[in-house]
Amino acid sequence: MSNTESIEFDMNAEDTSGPSLSYWQLVRKRFGRHKYGVAGLIFVSLILLTAILAGLIAPYSPSEKDRSSIYTPPQTIRIISEEGGLTRPFVLGFEEVMDPNTFEITFEPTFEKKQTIRFFVSGSEYNFFGLTLDKHLFGTDEGGFVHLLGTDGLGRDVFSRMVFGARITLAMGLIVMGAACIIGTIIGVTSGYLGGATDTVIQRLIEFVKSFPDLPLYLALVAIVPRDADPMAVFIMFAGILVLLQWANLARELRGKVIAIRSVEFVRAAVAVGATDRRIVLRHIVPNMSSHIIVWATYVLPEVILLESFLSFLGVGIQQPLVSWGVMLNSVRDFQSLAAAPWLLSPVAMIILSVLAFNALGDGLRDAMDPYAND
Amino acid sequence: MPMTNSLLSVEDVNVSFRTTLGIVEAVKNVSFEVGRCETLAVVGESGSGKSVTARAIMGMLAPNAIVGENSKILFDGDDLSTWSELELQEIRGKRISMIFQEPLTSLNPIYRIGDQIGEIITSHESISKQDLKARVLHLMGEVQLPDPEQRYMQYPHELSGGQRQRVMIAMALANNPDLLIADEPTTALDVTVQAEILSLLKDLQTSHNMAILLITHDLGVVSNVSDKVAVMRRGEVVERGSTRDVFDNPQHPYTRHLIDSEPKGQPDPIDENAPVVVEGKDMAVTYTLKSGGFFTPKLVDLNAVDNVTARIHEGETLGIVGESGSGKTTLAMSIIRLGEYQKGEITFKGDRIDQLNRKELLPYRSRMQVVFQDPFSSLNPRMIIRQILEEGLIVNQIGASAAERDSLVRQALDDVQMPHSSLERFPHEFSGGQRQRLAIARAIVLKPEFILLDEPTSALDLSIQSQIIDLLRDLRRRHGLSYMFISHDLKVVKALCHNVIVMQHGKVMEAGPTADVLANPQTAYTRRLVDAAFKVIA
Repeated sequence: MSNTESIEFDMNAEDTSGPSLSYWQLVRKRFGRHKYGVAGLIFVSLILLTAILAGLIAPYSPSEKDRSSIYTPPQTIRIISEEGGLTRPFVLGFEEVMDPNTFEITFEPTFEKKQTIRFFVSGSEYNFFGLTLDKHLFGTDEGGFVHLLGTDGLGRDVFSRMVFGARITLAMGLIVMGAACIIGTIIGVTSGYLGGATDTVIQRLIEFVKSFPDLPLYLALVAIVPRDADPMAVFIMFAGILVLLQWANLARELRGKVIAIRSVEFVRAAVAVGATDRRIVLRHIVPNMSSHIIVWATYVLPEVILLESFLSFLGVGIQQPLVSWGVMLNSVRDFQSLAAAPWLLSPVAMIILSVLAFNALGDGLRDAMDPYAND
Repeated sequence: MPMTNSLLSVEDVNVSFRTTLGIVEAVKNVSFEVGRCETLAVVGESGSGKSVTARAIMGMLAPNAIVGENSKILFDGDDLSTWSELELQEIRGKRISMIFQEPLTSLNPIYRIGDQIGEIITSHESISKQDLKARVLHLMGEVQLPDPEQRYMQYPHELSGGQRQRVMIAMALANNPDLLIADEPTTALDVTVQAEILSLLKDLQTSHNMAILLITHDLGVVSNVSDKVAVMRRGEVVERGSTRDVFDNPQHPYTRHLIDSEPKGQPDPIDENAPVVVEGKDMAVTYTLKSGGFFTPKLVDLNAVDNVTARIHEGETLGIVGESGSGKTTLAMSIIRLGEYQKGEITFKGDRIDQLNRKELLPYRSRMQVVFQDPFSSLNPRMIIRQILEEGLIVNQIGASAAERDSLVRQALDDVQMPHSSLERFPHEFSGGQRQRLAIARAIVLKPEFILLDEPTSALDLSIQSQIIDLLRDLRRRHGLSYMFISHDLKVVKALCHNVIVMQHGKVMEAGPTADVLANPQTAYTRRLVDAAFKVIA
């Protein structure tokens, strides 16, 4: 103990030096420590990147057909040549062999149909932000095909379709999430801030919306939409229905938070200096809700991905020729095709991966944004 | 140097916490001893490590805590720091028990009072139901709970704060502990109740022959009840000794500083004939409560403020004093038109403002300002200080350009003695006292004539309290401000207020010049408040 040395008593000299971290900088720092969340962020970024660069990553367009290979299984990439030496990576085409006893057709890889894989080859044209490009990340140059995940009943490349499917699936997720966030925030904040009769009306409306039986509603959509309707129109209507059912949750959660924050002293201090309602809502209330909204959004996105694939699988969601993961699963509805070509289930892996990734990201964000985290 | 007669001996205890920003040392080489039947007070301000030390003794630290290698906690000869969780459970609640600061949250709301006290007994010994009930009732009698039989069947929400703290004490006493650790046992209670609880603790100590480790920031409490004191600052014990020695002859400058920081001084004299700034005449605030069953609804009117008149002259500081629930904040908020009220005439500088709507009030907003109690929730965490201070200027269109506003904001920071570098920082980077200065800056940047101060010092440490009081006095002098000062602490009121209104249950009990009211209280209620603040328990 140092009783003798004089100690300065400037109580204000508490640590005000050092870099000043804003709330978001703190969040970033805290998020960095959440390994599961960071892994989620990495996978989410990869999935988003795949969707954006679909044309480059996929070797073929989603509708391009290889008539010589119907229901062919996935090909293995090989680097050991027939003679046993190392070569450039290649894949082997298949020879159809009929089992003389069961009459079952099996596919045997054969070196006679060897296809060397080349990178940045020219192939079918695609549109990238207004540019028409024809380079693909990989492919073959001898007029043959490479099907890493096999083909479907029309000879279309499953891998290419899955990459393009990410676009529609994620676009659906992001559109629904964005629209539901905007509508939910506006209605929820209005309800909580104004209170009184407005609040009562909005809350009854939310209860009404939440009491919709959603599955019959989706099925009713099929009945309304004419069979030859534009797939894009169906897509938009489908998104609209999902938004209609999702915003209510956020609105209700935010309403509760707004009521709590409305009586916090910094809001009352703003009233005391004469701030308008508009200013109080936009400068004081909404910024303090932002972390909640972001976390909610990262949780609702995987929910929409699951709903989309489920409904498209049933045939009531996105319609051909648009390709989504759910639409791809639609082709394995019957047991026979499932048994004959199990690789058609590969979009399931992507669905699981993206749902887990978005949930992990949401977990990480929730922990990082917790204002009560004491560190 | 273990003494023969010491019950608890804490030797070289170090505790640090793992956090995002690295390892933070909370307690550094703390040593002290508590003898049998002795009271040791550990005094320190928030963040001094006093509660962490208490939790270390009980083995109840947070999971990210690291206890130092050489730390020894000798309790009756055994080193508790080497004990397992299971062994510690044996001793907790039986030989060492603890009472916490917050009686509202330390009782389980869904169990009856009697069952909660009984549980402490049955978790350490088996006992028949009748014996248990008799023991519980005896305990409830000992802590002077009125109508023990009736309280036995009640739930925590039916009891007042003071009664709940008595229940907590009964639970702590249930197994006749050798050591009672009381962590700020009176801080959350009204001043008058504080005194009762302290004298109860003192009586129980003699009747139960137990030692008390009292953790507090309140020097008044220390001088009243403890035999020995350990003063802690920033995780270290800076001074130890008998209470008398430490108070009469403090060795360490920090101890001296703490003792000196009791609010002192008198308000500056004012002109008796100064014009009235704010007046609230016959103010009444009524809340309608629903009671009764679903089929027999009854509406009960609660008079939160019952025809109270408050008048503040130019340069005057009017204190409003009362226990929690006395309606003092409700009254003040309605006078500055931040709260609902049913009846009353409010005049600001001769203008009637009680009928104005929000838009018409705007010109008056910058002239009357408010500083709230809790500096942690009164600043928007998402804004930097510049935005917070500027907001009023922008809203009221004061200052034509950004440069002009900047200079006004900087002046306000100078006024509250905060560095200009604060402008680009966020509220969470400041301590409680600094935040309260910033909240005051937000009010005075508008150059108001009147400021409502709603318990601006009660959430702060003692030494910071006196700084804020000095600051307020200085600002009043320089800017000719008038204050309405709400407080439950008569010591602060004495140092700051010219006149005082004493409120209870929404009614004025007494009003007049502060010196007269304090020297010669007319009602029993005021006398109790005065005693609680100034009298030392015999």
